[in-house]
Amino acid sequence: MFETFTASQWLAHTREHGDLAAWLALVPYARRIGVSAEVDDHGVLFHLAPQQGNVGNVLLPALHGGVVAAFMETAASLDLMLATREPRLPKIIDFSIDFLQAARLAPTQARCRLLREGKRMANVQVTAWQQSEAQPVATARLHFALADPDDASLINRNA
Amino acid sequence: MNSGDERTPEAWQAALTRFVQVIPHTQALGLEVMEVAPPRVTMRLPWHDDLLGDSQRGLVHGGVLSMLLDTLCGSAVLCGLPEPEVCPTLDLRVDHYRPALAGHGLHGEAWVVRSSESVVFTEGRVWQQPERIVARGIGNFVRLGPRNTPSGFAAALFGEVSANV
Repeated sequence: MFETFTASQWLAHTREHGDLAAWLALVPYARRIGVSAEVDDHGVLFHLAPQQGNVGNVLLPALHGGVVAAFMETAASLDLMLATREPRLPKIIDFSIDFLQAARLAPTQARCRLLREGKRMANVQVTAWQQSEAQPVATARLHFALADPDDASLINRNA
Repeated sequence: MNSGDERTPEAWQAALTRFVQVIPHTQALGLEVMEVAPPRVTMRLPWHDDLLGDSQRGLVHGGVLSMLLDTLCGSAVLCGLPEPEVCPTLDLRVDHYRPALAGHGLHGEAWVVRSSESVVFTEGRVWQQPERIVARGIGNFVRLGPRNTPSGFAAALFGEVSANV
């Protein structure tokens, strides 16, 4: 039945059931780099699996910074979908990441904070770490436009 | 070993091709180096269904653009210094001007705006159709300097010794 879901039905399903795995399964690049998520007492905890295909520096070896960025962006948009007051489909406007340490080929985690939810815009902060949450490997912040899910298919492709 | 000034655009294209093919992530995605005119590089990421972020609406994952811009800007850094140095990304900002659509390869270019003693400032952009920029990136890279760059780094990049970068 999932195959016939519209974007707005997916959003409702994800919010209602907290079915993060089903939503992530619809995001091919997130699946390729090995993103998973679980709900715990503090919110949503995101995981990036340590896959050889995510390596960007073979000397260390270290994860590709761009893959860490993609992981954090995935986390931010899914976290935001669950966190908004009303169902909203986030569309990314801009993304900024600070790399604090080389991310080794090891399990990586991330958590998000919704710092502001306006009518049209949201600001999300993401922290990613490996060994300890107190020693982040990267922090990121993103702005999203919040679209009404029923209008979300109306992407202006000629914009 | 050739000095930086003697390296031709063709030699740079071969060197940066070697660079992106040694990175497991970009190698697996088939990233191609189209042209290098130091300190500017142009690349192409062929279409693959794994680049999708939204299968239903047929949109490229924004993170693919971050990954591509990080790679482009990092490659511009390599060819923009007098001699290649290991330069990790300090920070990266990506502005998403319009959605990137499924089924089309991604073209990108990046260039060095300014190199100081400690930092290399770069900018890049990605498009699918000419004149219609999908994303703009601004990346700053830390210069670790020759002392922290493995000896033979440039030689390996240029295939002058058995490549072991």
